[in-house]
Amino acid sequence: MQLDIFQNKIVLLDGAMGTVLQQKGLPPGGHPELLNLTNPDFIRSVHRAYFDAGSQIIYANTFGANALKLDGTGYTVQEVIAAGVRLAKAEAGPEQYVALDVGPLGTLLEPMGSLSFERAYELFAEMAVCGEKTGANLAVIETMTDLYEAKAALLAVKDCTNLPVFVTMSFDEGGRTFTGCTVSSMARTLEGLGADAIGLNCSLGPDKLAGLLKELCENTRLPVIAKPNAGLPDPVDGHYDMDPEAFAEALLPCLEAGVTLFGGCCGTSPEYIQAVRRALEGRSPAPRHFWSGGFVCTPTNPLRLDDIRVIGERINPTGKKRFQQALLEDDLDYILDVAIQQEDAGAEILDVNVGFPGVDEVMMLPRVVKKIQSAVSLPLQLDSANPDALEAALRVYNGKAAVNSVNGKPEVLTRLLPVVKKYGASVVGLTLDEAGIPQTVEARLEIARKILETALSYEIPREDVWIDCLTLTVSAQQEQAVETLRAVRAIRQELGLQTVLGVSNISFGLPNRGLVSQSFLTQALSAGLTLPILNPNQTEMMDAVFAFRVLSGADVQCRDYIARFSDVATAAQPVQSAGITLEDAICKGLKADAAKLAKAALETGDELSLVEKRLIPALDRVGEGYENGLIFLPQLLSAAQAAQAVFEAIRASIAEKGGAPVKKGTLIVATVQGDIHDIGKNIVKTVLENYGYEVLDLGRDVPPETIVQAVVKQGVSLVGLSALMTTTLPAMEETVRQLRTLPEPPVTFVGGAVVTPEYARQIHADYYAKDARESVEIAKKVLE
Amino acid sequence: MPSLKPDVSEALRYLGAQNAPENLCRQTAEMAETIASSIQPRYTYRIYGLEFQSGGVALCGTNIVLTGASASKMLGECQQAALLACTLGTVFDQRLTAFQARDMAQAVLYDACGSAFVEAGCDAAVAELAARFPDRFLTDRFSPGYGDLPLSLQPDICAALDASRRLGLHVTESLLLNPVKSVTAVIGLSDRPQKARIRGCAYCQMRNTCALRKGGKNCAT
Repeated sequence: MQLDIFQNKIVLLDGAMGTVLQQKGLPPGGHPELLNLTNPDFIRSVHRAYFDAGSQIIYANTFGANALKLDGTGYTVQEVIAAGVRLAKAEAGPEQYVALDVGPLGTLLEPMGSLSFERAYELFAEMAVCGEKTGANLAVIETMTDLYEAKAALLAVKDCTNLPVFVTMSFDEGGRTFTGCTVSSMARTLEGLGADAIGLNCSLGPDKLAGLLKELCENTRLPVIAKPNAGLPDPVDGHYDMDPEAFAEALLPCLEAGVTLFGGCCGTSPEYIQAVRRALEGRSPAPRHFWSGGFVCTPTNPLRLDDIRVIGERINPTGKKRFQQALLEDDLDYILDVAIQQEDAGAEILDVNVGFPGVDEVMMLPRVVKKIQSAVSLPLQLDSANPDALEAALRVYNGKAAVNSVNGKPEVLTRLLPVVKKYGASVVGLTLDEAGIPQTVEARLEIARKILETALSYEIPREDVWIDCLTLTVSAQQEQAVETLRAVRAIRQELGLQTVLGVSNISFGLPNRGLVSQSFLTQALSAGLTLPILNPNQTEMMDAVFAFRVLSGADVQCRDYIARFSDVATAAQPVQSAGITLEDAICKGLKADAAKLAKAALETGDELSLVEKRLIPALDRVGEGYENGLIFLPQLLSAAQAAQAVFEAIRASIAEKGGAPVKKGTLIVATVQGDIHDIGKNIVKTVLENYGYEVLDLGRDVPPETIVQAVVKQGVSLVGLSALMTTTLPAMEETVRQLRTLPEPPVTFVGGAVVTPEYARQIHADYYAKDARESVEIAKKVLE
Repeated sequence: MPSLKPDVSEALRYLGAQNAPENLCRQTAEMAETIASSIQPRYTYRIYGLEFQSGGVALCGTNIVLTGASASKMLGECQQAALLACTLGTVFDQRLTAFQARDMAQAVLYDACGSAFVEAGCDAAVAELAARFPDRFLTDRFSPGYGDLPLSLQPDICAALDASRRLGLHVTESLLLNPVKSVTAVIGLSDRPQKARIRGCAYCQMRNTCALRKGGKNCAT
């Protein structure tokens, strides 16, 4: 199919299949795709009716024909799709086209569900390959509510076929999908990934979609699709409330917004398409208005680069012993914590670098990306010298990322720019090449031009090219500070590109570094720096950004500045009065005080006695209060977290000295297979960790085999299992059974809402833990 | 739909902290505000005729048969029943993950408020249903897992309501609803008053006129 068929032209798609089937008496649910094989004449008649009504592209009856949904039906994906595409093709005349229809898989992807991104990709790839083989002219991915799932599907179609591909997603009136994805995040991400047209379908009537479609058109250069419902369904009888004429009338504002491909979803039928055809007759596409500034995003957090955006630099092992230790110990929770601190400190993008000797970056970078994205919504800048690691991380990143970095060396550009293009990322170009870092502004500008031109030749849009003019240490090359500032100004003025600088490097080797860094930052911002890379936890650096935005006029009426500094008086948890003891700080859950007092205690005492003589007794005091009903769960956990701050101080102290970490014993915890509720297990983990145990958390929905393997590999002697629902208890029983077959079976303890002491005995678990507090008692008995 | 809020005392009940000290009550109330300002429960329902069969109560126009004694008892005097699904969506799950990574104490408050919030969503759906049918009497709502109503009905209930498309609500292989704060329920519609068997007098339409209640008793047992 030629792409020009749907470029700058009004194109009619089809209406609903399911609605027509239900009108003919098919009960809801079930597998309408099987009718391709069991009642082909009927499916053909629906396609015929749509072509007769004026549809130029119709969707084959393959929406749910994926291996997950067809499991147990006795039919294969190949059979159902082949039949579906052939039926539709049989009705298609000249200049009428058939799309392979690809709907959601019907189960949630990680991190909300347990289906991995990679497995989703395979399932979609199977559909796409079948569709192309049986003659579909294009693929349509529709009704998506999870951008990650849409990405898996789009990559599968692009990687495995040559079909043009449309993607449409479903939004509520507030402009979000069920998973919180915004319209602009969707548009920028999917265009970046190479969709041929994008749009909205289902969920609302055309009257409610026009505003969202306008926003969509402002965020993409691609043709835009509208395939709305016939209004809203009546809860009593399920009928949609818009008739064909009203539906077609309400689509006209969508045309004005820039839509060129029109069809219908739930509640529509061939009559609706006829009405749309009549309404659009003689009309032409409306002019489009694209906002062409820089942009990065996650699904829930679209970030226009129309202001200064601070890039947090702390996810980087260079010169940070504690971070290096976390990487080598596979402690991803620590890395997540570093991400969270920077988000809370006001970073808007996070640089992610995990390059360190002994770390396999190709494995680690994507894992860290997934981990951070499970709890932090900031867009990421993936930072590595290893192109394979960057590609692996871009693949699993949810949204539109940035890549740090390329430079003027031809071999680097030709290796990385195709990857940047494929995944629709932005890219940082360093102004250096084979000859090193040029000493003059003109030479740096020349390299920047070369990077930009090469990127454009790969069809990377101009706004996705960011230039880093390189900060050199002022104490070593003093004259270069001014050159860097001049280069930033020239890049902004002559090329109009986003500018990046790692600011902190300027002050290396000088006393009072903060002052030099802050002064340089202010000058660089003034020269036109838009994306400073810095440590957002250093308040003076963030303060300088806020002050600059006041002076530049970006902070209208100084609102952000005033909000920042009026907050200072009531900062989250101020350190309390001097008289408080470490024990009190822990019991009252005062994290900041506990950390400060622990640091003070470590100046005079050793780590082990701090744990044994002060921390544990304080936690025991809290635990007793909890058992006696004087203290409740949130308070118990606050105390645990204050203890965590003490432990963090201890770890930092040990990492500095290069000694062995204080560990009182290791155990494994997991939520059993099939169970997705893991807050109970996480509570147990939090409390155990703050008694000094090392807790290997295998997560939720963990198969028995994985737990057995982990026990063997780690040589662990205690395993805690959690299950919330009666339907997942058999998985707990099976896990305990398998663990007991080991030559040296670990001690097991079980808990969770539906688990009882009797049940624990019945499945031969060694202990029943009624709550987190009891797990500590069990750990003490078994591990000490 | 008017903006809903979780019931703070219900959230405290989920925390096992009915007699919570004042600052915990305040924190829970603040968390209830936080959640309500960022998320609203979504729900959908459909009404079906009933057919009483030997194996249970069938919902006309679907393949669903509500098996077991509980459904037969709850719907015994009803002519119709509504299927209801309500969820806080995956945005709740995402924020709960973020809370757990930041602060477990806040996370358990958020979790408890979420449980209370999805119940508030169900209450709102039932109120809407009652308002649509002012001349009908509603039973308490009951869910798969209540009494002997099997959890294995979850996939069919969600399919009948098209819950994955309408609400983004899915059923896992182990019959859990995902996103985590989700409820499916059945509500009977009758032409005569229905006993408050599950939720008690506070929720009963007849609480002001009930003879049992005036005599210091109730119909729950």
